[in-house]
Amino acid sequence: MSTASKAKSSRDVVIVEGFRTPFVKSGDKFSQVHPADLGKTALKAVLAKTNLNTDEIDEVIIGNTGNPPDAVNISRVVALGAGVPQKTSAYTVHRNCASALESISQGFEKIRGGTMEVIIAGGTENMTQMPVLMPQKFQKIFMDLPRAKGPAQALPLLWKLFKTDVKQIKAMLTGDMRNELMPTAAVMQGLTDPFVGINMGQTAEILAKEWGLSRQTQDEFALRSHKLASAAKEKLREEIAPVALGPDYKETIIDDIGPRENQTYEALAKLKPFFDKETGSITAGNSCPITDGAAMILMMSREKAESLGYKPLARILSYGFAGLEPERMGLGPVYSTPLALKRAGLSLKDMGLVELNEAFAAQVLSCQKALDSDEFAKNKLGLSAKVGELRSEIVNVNGGAIALGHPVGATGTRITLTLMKEMRRRNTQFGLATLCIGGGQGGSIIIENEN
Amino acid sequence: MSTMKNSLKLKYQNDIAILELDLQGEKVNKLSTPVMNHLKDVIDEVARSKAKVFVIRSLKPKIFVAGADIEEIKNLKTKDEFEKAVRGGQDIFNRLEDMPQVTIASINGACAGGGCEMILACDYRIASEDSSTRIGLPETQLGIIPGFGGCVRLPRVVGLQAALDIILAGKLLNAKKAKKAGLVDKLVHPGILEEETMKWAAQLAQEGGKRRKQFKAQGLVNTILEGGLGRRVVFSKAKEATLKATKGHYPAPLAALDVIKETYGMSDRQKALDIERTYFCEMGITDISKNLIHVFYLTEMVKKQTGLPAGSAAKAKDVKAVGVLGAGTMGGGVAYIGADKGIQMRIKDINYEALGKAYKHASDLWTKLVKKRVIDKYQAKQKMDLVSGGIDYAGFKTLDVVIEAIVEDMNIKRKVIAETAGQMRADAIIVTNTSSLSVTEMGEAHPKPAQFAGMHFFNPVDKMPLVEVIRGPQSSDETIATIFELSKKMGKMPVVVKDGPGFLVNRLLIPYLNEATFLFQEGMDIKTLDDYYVKNFGMPMGPLALMDEVGLDVGIKVVKIFNKAFGARVQIPEVMEKIGKSGRLGKKNGKGFYKYSDEGKRLEPDDTIYAELGLNAPKNPYTEKECIERGIFSMINECASALYDDKIVETPDEVDLAMIMGTGFPPFRGGLCRYADSVGSQTIATALEAYSLQRSTPRLKPMAALNAMARDNKKFYT
Repeated sequence: MSTASKAKSSRDVVIVEGFRTPFVKSGDKFSQVHPADLGKTALKAVLAKTNLNTDEIDEVIIGNTGNPPDAVNISRVVALGAGVPQKTSAYTVHRNCASALESISQGFEKIRGGTMEVIIAGGTENMTQMPVLMPQKFQKIFMDLPRAKGPAQALPLLWKLFKTDVKQIKAMLTGDMRNELMPTAAVMQGLTDPFVGINMGQTAEILAKEWGLSRQTQDEFALRSHKLASAAKEKLREEIAPVALGPDYKETIIDDIGPRENQTYEALAKLKPFFDKETGSITAGNSCPITDGAAMILMMSREKAESLGYKPLARILSYGFAGLEPERMGLGPVYSTPLALKRAGLSLKDMGLVELNEAFAAQVLSCQKALDSDEFAKNKLGLSAKVGELRSEIVNVNGGAIALGHPVGATGTRITLTLMKEMRRRNTQFGLATLCIGGGQGGSIIIENEN
Repeated sequence: MSTMKNSLKLKYQNDIAILELDLQGEKVNKLSTPVMNHLKDVIDEVARSKAKVFVIRSLKPKIFVAGADIEEIKNLKTKDEFEKAVRGGQDIFNRLEDMPQVTIASINGACAGGGCEMILACDYRIASEDSSTRIGLPETQLGIIPGFGGCVRLPRVVGLQAALDIILAGKLLNAKKAKKAGLVDKLVHPGILEEETMKWAAQLAQEGGKRRKQFKAQGLVNTILEGGLGRRVVFSKAKEATLKATKGHYPAPLAALDVIKETYGMSDRQKALDIERTYFCEMGITDISKNLIHVFYLTEMVKKQTGLPAGSAAKAKDVKAVGVLGAGTMGGGVAYIGADKGIQMRIKDINYEALGKAYKHASDLWTKLVKKRVIDKYQAKQKMDLVSGGIDYAGFKTLDVVIEAIVEDMNIKRKVIAETAGQMRADAIIVTNTSSLSVTEMGEAHPKPAQFAGMHFFNPVDKMPLVEVIRGPQSSDETIATIFELSKKMGKMPVVVKDGPGFLVNRLLIPYLNEATFLFQEGMDIKTLDDYYVKNFGMPMGPLALMDEVGLDVGIKVVKIFNKAFGARVQIPEVMEKIGKSGRLGKKNGKGFYKYSDEGKRLEPDDTIYAELGLNAPKNPYTEKECIERGIFSMINECASALYDDKIVETPDEVDLAMIMGTGFPPFRGGLCRYADSVGSQTIATALEAYSLQRSTPRLKPMAALNAMARDNKKFYT
């Protein structure tokens, strides 16, 4: 280790334990599991493993982007359902892909500042259950109908509804995607940048082309993700809380459904580009799938952890968030990481292990290139020299989101958790978890092993 | 007299007279004779006053009027005594109904029996939405019928169908259902009940509004059912359903049905009340009513008990989280009842498949309650959230009590108990749900045997109300008090028993089941034998069907344990050994004395069993009397020994409660000891002696304890 550990302080923020649910591709086993229930399962596992007296919890902060209409402050629903006392405050945070890193950063500030001692941070997302939105025209009819007085007013509205329905079905049958009557999937809308109007896949296409990333390198990276994740199955079980599937509870999901042990390069190479059919290179195979899952960690001040008799797993040194052009959002980690490193007083070469979320293979690979570029550092980051080389051997050693999946509101905590557990296995001192954020931001967190 | 003045406080506000019920020195308001007499004076006084409205309310927090004084009913012996008491009550409520004032009952909390009859005699009823508000006529549960005009007034107020539902089942309605039935006119939040009552009273004082509410059927179907022809259908259906539910053992609901049939729509109130009173007196003097009142007292007794001997100052510890070892039928059932009552339940088993079964068991039961609208989907979800599980000891340090429900094997249990204790807090308690193994021996495996006891649930856990709390020689007072209280918190009736083979219930049950097997072996037909017990004696299930339910393999195992413990008096029937080798396990593999459907529903007896076991075709050599006596008297014989030789429990009360709540022993017989007393110890001992001599076996021989009773013709209850 090149850099010595900073002195320990009683106000250090430490992670005591963490668990996540298996990550499951959308439309699969978790289709009927409410995101609050996913969150509860992960949180219950944390509380059980630590035998925590739940009266000690000061606050529950949970990331979520889907904002399910039947649980708008989903954090509160998760907290109460998992057995956190009613007196304890709970709120939900939304920073797109980094919502569950935002929750950790807020917990970090509150504990470090001395406002609080014990915080549950995490995230949960069920992308399958994100709603399909009815067009405005329907909304108007649905609002007017209950107010209609008598059949004289109701019948014309019903006739209007019928006519609109017919038009909508016609639009669907003819595949008229631009028709204003087409229902929109919230998940698709969420994956489209609201400022510049292009979707996330297209932002990756931009990076692939600008950084000269061949289809082959991308597919090779995707293959690596599947191979590493498959090989890490046993290790990953240590951080997974099994989910029993109601209402018949015949099946309990104990592993991620995503990593394909038998994935071949050839199969990946056969896939057609999805976002740019003519000249593109981003496919469903080298992008992360839409996913359902949750992750939770237990954070405390060092003095509180000690007084309760816990041995911390890691200490959080710093975090950083930064913005960039929305259409190049994939490079977010390149912007946020120097901030976090500076706050920790460390450099990239001090990092023994890195989790860089795999939204797209092209995006990870261009981050590596940009981090290693003096020119990029000077022109874009306002730094005198490059951030540093990110050696592939230490990045996503147990696979990443291309294999495991990326339940948007939960990933920030997932990569922090996976990083922490692997750092303990390898006895690594410093680690970085970072991810790009839809809308053009990056988020990073640096933790130190407490071994 | 001054106490009564404080118990029934009368005050006047402008035009409104207000009666506030607050029975001094009692937790609840009840209509004892002194209360009724004073109520009469109050009514007369108000009737003579200038007040325009008369309001009745209660000052007790969760009680309006709990009912008549059961102690008084218990002590009424002759028809004349009943006649006098009931006539008085009817008369007082007539006076209430006939007051010139507009009368309003303002109800918060329990309003049962006589309390409900009182509000029925008022013009208007306003109630709070509080969950404690429960209104109804439970008299038939005590073997009597509503006698202060309830049979007459309720149908008039809520209509025939609703009234029959309420009176025949003896159930109480919650506030919402009472409003829906029309039993109350207005429903308000408890915080504004008084205010709204007074507002309404002031309005009625202004406008007047004396009335006698008359139910009007809504909708075509209901109108038809209220009409002449429809009524006949309603009555015959109700009778059919009641006979099915009571199997003819409970005459009170049928009597109530007759009263309503004869009086519904009758314009002469006095004549209708005379009919009601006649039936009431007939029911009141029956043994069945006395027995049901006895059972009522037994359940009340448990509510007051702590599970500790007199003089012990130990207190039950607060229990918030409970663990269950083993997610089988019993473990799953225990997790369900705990979470149902708001306790956090953590299940541990060796694999997720087993845990899933427990989750499903609990989830299915709550889903059923949601479908029946007993709870809503949010409540169901909250309950399910309380159940979690794992395949390791995660979370065990947060648990206050762990209930062990793993395989019935002493060595494995001892190992697991020692291991579990090491994973728990130093102050935590472990209990075993064993049904046949020694709690004492098991407790020695616990590093601190004081924190170990037995907690024996009965299958199916969600339905059977009994829990045997088994006190090992080293169990501490605090442990017993905690488990006793936990049982109550889980909605169960605990009885503290000493350790010993079969504890109490199984110890008494085994000689009975064993004797039934002998009767079968000696040529009794399966159905004939079981029917004697079910249809005639009143058991919920025949002994052979019960053995199928328990599992024939388990039965044999337990009989062998008993044979070892008690020697020749628990003889093993030859046929039992053969059953053991026949592969018939009972309900669980669909092959036993009976056949079973794929869903596990009991079908007809399996006639192939006789030949398979080398028995001749059944010739039914014994009379019903002999069959019943050999089975039930065997239980009584064992009961005397358990009670007096081994002091497994202290009192016959506990035996009766345990047998009713744990085996479904017919409540109308008042329990095993009460039944024995009605037969007489001499008769029982003599009969057993004869049966034993006839087949020269020590099996049926009366034991010393029973013989001692017989010598002086002593009863269990003295």
